[in-house]
Amino acid sequence: MPEFSLISAPPLAGYDETLGGIRLRAPEGLAIVSIALPLGGEAAAEKAVKSAYGAALPEMGQSVLAGDARLVRLGVDQAFVIFDHTEPNAEGVVAGKLKDKAYTTDQTDVWVGLEISGAGCREALERICPLDLHPDAFAVNQAARTVMEHLGVLIIRTGEAAYLLLSASSSAGTFQHALHQSMKNVS
Amino acid sequence: MSQDYRIGGGQVDRTREITFRFNGKAMQGHPGDTLASALLANGQKLVGRSFKYHRPRGVFTSGSEEPNALVQLRSGAHQEPNTRATTVELFEGLSATSQNHRGPLEWDLMAVTDLMSPFLSAGFYYKTFMWPRAFWEKFYEPVIRSSAGLGRLSMQNDPDQYDKGFLHCDLLVVGAGPSGLMAALTAARSGARVILADEDFAPGGRLNAETLELGGMAGADWAAQVVAELVDMPNVRLMTRTTVYGAYDHGIYGALERCTDHLAESGGKPRQILWRIYSKRAVLAAGATERPIAFGNNDRPGVMMAGAVRAYVNRFGVTPGHHVAVFTNNDDGWRTAKDLTDKGVEVVAVIDSRDKPAVCEVPGARHVRGAAVMDTVGRKGIKSITLTDGQVIPVDCLAVSGGWNPNVHLTCHQRGRPEWRDDLQAFVPGGALPPGMAVAGAANGQMTLAAALAEGQAQAKAQLEALDHTVANVELLQAEDEPREAAAFWHVKDSKKRAWVDQQNDVTVKDVKLANREGFRSVELLKRYTTLGMATDQGKTSNIAGLAILAEEAGKTIPEVGTTIFRPPYTPVPMGALGGRARGKEFRPYRLTPSHKWAEENGATFVEVGNWLRAQWFVRDGEKGWRDSVDREVEMTRNSVGICDVTTLGKIDIQGRDAAEFLNKVYANGFAKLPVGKVRYGLMLREDGIAYDDGTTARMGENHFVMTTTTANAVVVFRRLEFARQCLWPNLDVHLISTTDGWAQFAVAGPNSRKLLQKVVDKEHDLSNEAFPFMACGEVMVCGGMPARLFRISFSGEMAYEIAVPARYGNSMMDVLMEAGREFDAVPYGTEALGVMRIEKGHAAGNELNGQTTAHNLGMGRMVSQKKECIGNVLSQRPEMVREDAVKLMGFKPVNPAEPLIAGMHFINRNAVANMDNDQGWMTSVAYSPSLGHSIGLGFVKSGDTRKGEILRAVSPVHGREVLVEVVSAHFIDPEGERLRA
Repeated sequence: MPEFSLISAPPLAGYDETLGGIRLRAPEGLAIVSIALPLGGEAAAEKAVKSAYGAALPEMGQSVLAGDARLVRLGVDQAFVIFDHTEPNAEGVVAGKLKDKAYTTDQTDVWVGLEISGAGCREALERICPLDLHPDAFAVNQAARTVMEHLGVLIIRTGEAAYLLLSASSSAGTFQHALHQSMKNVS
Repeated sequence: MSQDYRIGGGQVDRTREITFRFNGKAMQGHPGDTLASALLANGQKLVGRSFKYHRPRGVFTSGSEEPNALVQLRSGAHQEPNTRATTVELFEGLSATSQNHRGPLEWDLMAVTDLMSPFLSAGFYYKTFMWPRAFWEKFYEPVIRSSAGLGRLSMQNDPDQYDKGFLHCDLLVVGAGPSGLMAALTAARSGARVILADEDFAPGGRLNAETLELGGMAGADWAAQVVAELVDMPNVRLMTRTTVYGAYDHGIYGALERCTDHLAESGGKPRQILWRIYSKRAVLAAGATERPIAFGNNDRPGVMMAGAVRAYVNRFGVTPGHHVAVFTNNDDGWRTAKDLTDKGVEVVAVIDSRDKPAVCEVPGARHVRGAAVMDTVGRKGIKSITLTDGQVIPVDCLAVSGGWNPNVHLTCHQRGRPEWRDDLQAFVPGGALPPGMAVAGAANGQMTLAAALAEGQAQAKAQLEALDHTVANVELLQAEDEPREAAAFWHVKDSKKRAWVDQQNDVTVKDVKLANREGFRSVELLKRYTTLGMATDQGKTSNIAGLAILAEEAGKTIPEVGTTIFRPPYTPVPMGALGGRARGKEFRPYRLTPSHKWAEENGATFVEVGNWLRAQWFVRDGEKGWRDSVDREVEMTRNSVGICDVTTLGKIDIQGRDAAEFLNKVYANGFAKLPVGKVRYGLMLREDGIAYDDGTTARMGENHFVMTTTTANAVVVFRRLEFARQCLWPNLDVHLISTTDGWAQFAVAGPNSRKLLQKVVDKEHDLSNEAFPFMACGEVMVCGGMPARLFRISFSGEMAYEIAVPARYGNSMMDVLMEAGREFDAVPYGTEALGVMRIEKGHAAGNELNGQTTAHNLGMGRMVSQKKECIGNVLSQRPEMVREDAVKLMGFKPVNPAEPLIAGMHFINRNAVANMDNDQGWMTSVAYSPSLGHSIGLGFVKSGDTRKGEILRAVSPVHGREVLVEVVSAHFIDPEGERLRA
C-alpha cells in the first residue's frame, strides 16, 4: 500500500444544470487522445484506425461515432479519439489499439467538456458562438474549432439538439459561466 | 393633462391608456405611441433646449433622425441622456425629463446665450478665448465644458445587462418598409434564410405613416399581412426594434436590438443585444429622410417635417397643431396637406416655393405659389409665419418639406461615394457598394410606392439568383406612383433672421457662409469648423442642406462639393452594448492552476499573470507584509524544500521522426544530439536575431519531446512552431499539440527535494544523483502507479525537480507533496519567491527577454550555433548586434547594503552627468535577497562583462533616487552550480 494516494478532481465535476429547457452538463470520465498521422505513413495510420475502431477516420470537420468512441478529424494530420475512460492511461489504450502506426498524446486533462442540449440550446449558443449552427449548415456529427467569449472551443454536434463543447480545462469556470449566462439570457 | 391633440384613426390601441411623466407632470398616451407622439397628443410642444443657444425646441421628426426632441429617459442609475423621444416606445410609468437648461424648461437661465449669438459664431472658441493665454486651461475650458453638452450621465454604474450574438442568413434585408417587405417576402417564399431588421417597433416603414394603397388595401394592412406571414415562417427571422448600424467586411453587418427598452423593467434579461450578422447577400431598404428648408427662426417648437406631421396624424392619431401651414419645394409636401384635411385638421395654407399649380385639392387652404416662409414668431411654440410676400399667417404648426434624401449611409461604410441625381436633387448610392449589397426602394432613389415595391422584389430576386437559389414568383400588387417632383430650394435667401441648418448643433446658414469666407471650403473642413452634422443625429436632416448652401456660396455644384464620409454607426450605439458582458471580472477569461483550490485554502494572495491567477505568496500568522512571507518562502526553500505550482509554463508535445531536427532548427543552440532521458535549456530567436523565448525541452523518447515555454509566450511559441512546421519545413515529420493544461506541474526545490520526492515517487525509480542527475528526465509512477513525469531542472538554483501529474490530480498532488514534506518543513512558495530566487541565480526572464535583447546581450552569444541552419542565427550576427561594447546582462549590488534598488534605474559612470548621452544601460529586475541580506539587481550595462568591480551610479530621475552600485556577476548564488548538481 503506497503511503500517499491521489484523488481525481476534474474541473466542473458533477455539474449538471437545466434552465428553460436547456441542459448543460459536464460529462464524467471523458477521455481524449490526439492522433497525429505520420508524414508518409498516413495510409497505414488510417488503416490502423479503421481496424481499431471499425470506422474510417472521417473527413476534416467531421466526426464519427465508432462503438463507444468518437473520432473527430481536426486537421489533415490530426484527429481526436473521445471515449469514456476514467483511468489515467487513455493514451496508452489508444496507442495500443493503433499499434504505433500514429503518434498519440493524452489530451484528457487539457480540455473540459460541456454538453449542451435541449430545444433552445442553439439559441443559447447564438449568443457566444460565431459559427452558423443551423441544422442545414452544421449537421449532426460535424465538428469545428471556434472561439467563444475569448476561449478556444471545439464544438461537435452530437445529436439533433445536442452539442459537445471542449475548451481549455484551466479556464473551465469562465467557460461554464459563459454558457450558463447564455442559457439564462435566452430562457 | 388631457390629450387635446388626439384625433381619430391611427394604429394606437385606444382601449388602453398609459400614464407617463414628463418633467414630473403626469400625461396619458396609448400603446403604440412613441414618447413624441404622446407628448404632442398632450399638447407638449416645448420638449428641450438647444445645444448652444438654449433655444426652445420641440419635436421635429417622427424617426431616428430627430435632432431636437432629446430627453433624459428613466431615473437613477438607469437614466439615459440624449434619448430621441421620437423612437422611444411609450410604456406604463415611463418618466422623461427635458435636458440642457438651468432652471425650469420654460425659463432656462442659459437662454441668455441666445442674446449673445452674434459673438458665438462658428469657430468662436478659437477666436474669442485667445487671451490671456493662461486662462484657457484654468478658466475658459472648464466654463465652456460645464455649459456644453446636452443630457447628463447618472455617474453611476450602468445596472443593465447587455449581450452580444451572431446570426447567419442567406439574405439580410435592412428596413421593413414597402421595398424591404417585398424583398423579404420574395426571399422567404423562395425558401432562403432571411433576416429582416427594422429599427421601428412596428414594421411597415412609411406604409404605417401614409394613406397609400396596395391592391385596394390600406398600405399598413398589407404590411401587417406580410409581417404575419413572415413571422410564421421558420426560415425567417423578423427583428423589430433592431437597427443595422454598420456594414463591415465580408457581408458582416452590425445590428443593435433593443430588447427591453420598451418595458418598464428588463426583468434580469439583457436590455440590448449587439448582433453580428453574417449575410451571404443583403438588400438595403433603408428608405429616405426628409430634409428641412432653412429660413428665419425655423427652429421654433411647432415647425416640423411635413412627412412627420403626416406620420403623427396617420399612424398615431395625433395632430401636431390645429391650424397647420405647409411649406414645400416638392410635390410630396402636398400629400401632408391632403392627409391632414382628410382627417379634419385645418390646413390654413400651402406655400410652394415653385410657381406651379396645386398638386392636389386641399380644401380650405390658401395656395401661395412661388413664395417662401421668411420668419416665424412664437417663443415656446410657433404662433405665426411671415412669407416672402409679406403675408403674416397665424398657425400653431408649420409642416416643412425640402425633399427627401435616400438613406445611403450603409452603402458608404466601405468608402463608397454616393452619386448626385439632379431629378431627385439628392444623393443616391454610388458605384462601389459593399460586396454583396444591393439597394432597393427610396434608399436607391425609387421614391414612389410602385417603383419601390418592384425594386424590392427585383433586388431580392437578383441576390438569390446570384446564390443559385430558385426564386418564387410573388405577385406584385397594384400600387400608386405618387407625384414626387422636387425643386432645388435649400434656404430662403430673403430671410435676414438666423436660419438653422443643423438644429442639434445649432449651426446656421450664416455659420456655413462664414466658414466658406474664412477658407474652410472643403466639406470635411466645413463639418469640423462649424460642427455641422457632428451631433448625435450625425446630420441626418442637415448635411445635404449644409453642403448645398456651401456649394452656392462657393459657386460650385453640389456633386462638386460632395458629402462627408458616412461611417458606422448609423444611429448611436450605447457603450454598454459595445461592451456586452465584458465588464468587471468578466472582462476576460480566468485560468486557474490545478492547485488553485489548495492555494485558496492556504492563505495565497493571487496575482494575474496574463489570464492566469497564480499564487503570489502564502501568508502565515504574524506576518506583517508581503516581504515577510516572501523572505520566509525563499529562506525555507533554500534551507530545506519549497513547492511551487509551475503549471502555467507552456508545454508543447512534439512527436515525429524529424522532431529532433525540427528542434535543432527552432532553437539557437543544438538539440539534434540530446539523448533520450535528458533535458536541455534552449533559447529561441526571432528571424531578426532577437531573443524571444527560452525554456527547457526534454527528450522523452527517440521521436518524442516535451517543450516548455515561458508562461507569457506559450501561445506565441506554439503558433510560430506551427508556422515553421507547416510552411518552412513541410517535409519534416513533426507533430505538435499543446498539453499546457493537461499536466499539473510542480517545482520541488531545495536541498531536501530529493528526499521528499523519494517518498512520493514509486520505489522502483532510482532518484539518486547517479541514476537521475541534473538535467535528467523520465516517465515515472507516483503514489502507487499513477503516471507522472519527472524533470531534474532548476530555476531557483537549488537542487530541484519538476514533477507533473495529469491535471485532474493536481490539487491532490499539492496535498501529497506538502504532506510528504512535513518532516522537512516543506513550504509552498509563490511567484514572488520564485522571482527572488531566479534573480539570485541570475536567470533571465521576461524583463530581460524584452524583445530588444539578443543572446549576445544576455551573455549567451556562444550558445547561438553557426554550424547549423536555425531561425535567427544569421541575422543575429549583424555587426551592430555583436558589438564588443554592447550592453551585457550583469548583476548589481548596492555599495551601501542598506540601500534598496529600483527596477528601471539607469546606469551612469561615476563622474558623468546623469543624462541620456551618458547612459550606460538599465536595471531590469531587482529584489531583496534574503540569502544575501541586501538588495540585488540584474541589468544591462555597456561592455558589462569587462566591468566587474566597477562602481556606477544607478539613477532614477522618476523617483528622484540615486544609488551607487557595484557591477558583479549575475549569478549571486552558487555561481559554480554545485547545489544544482548535488
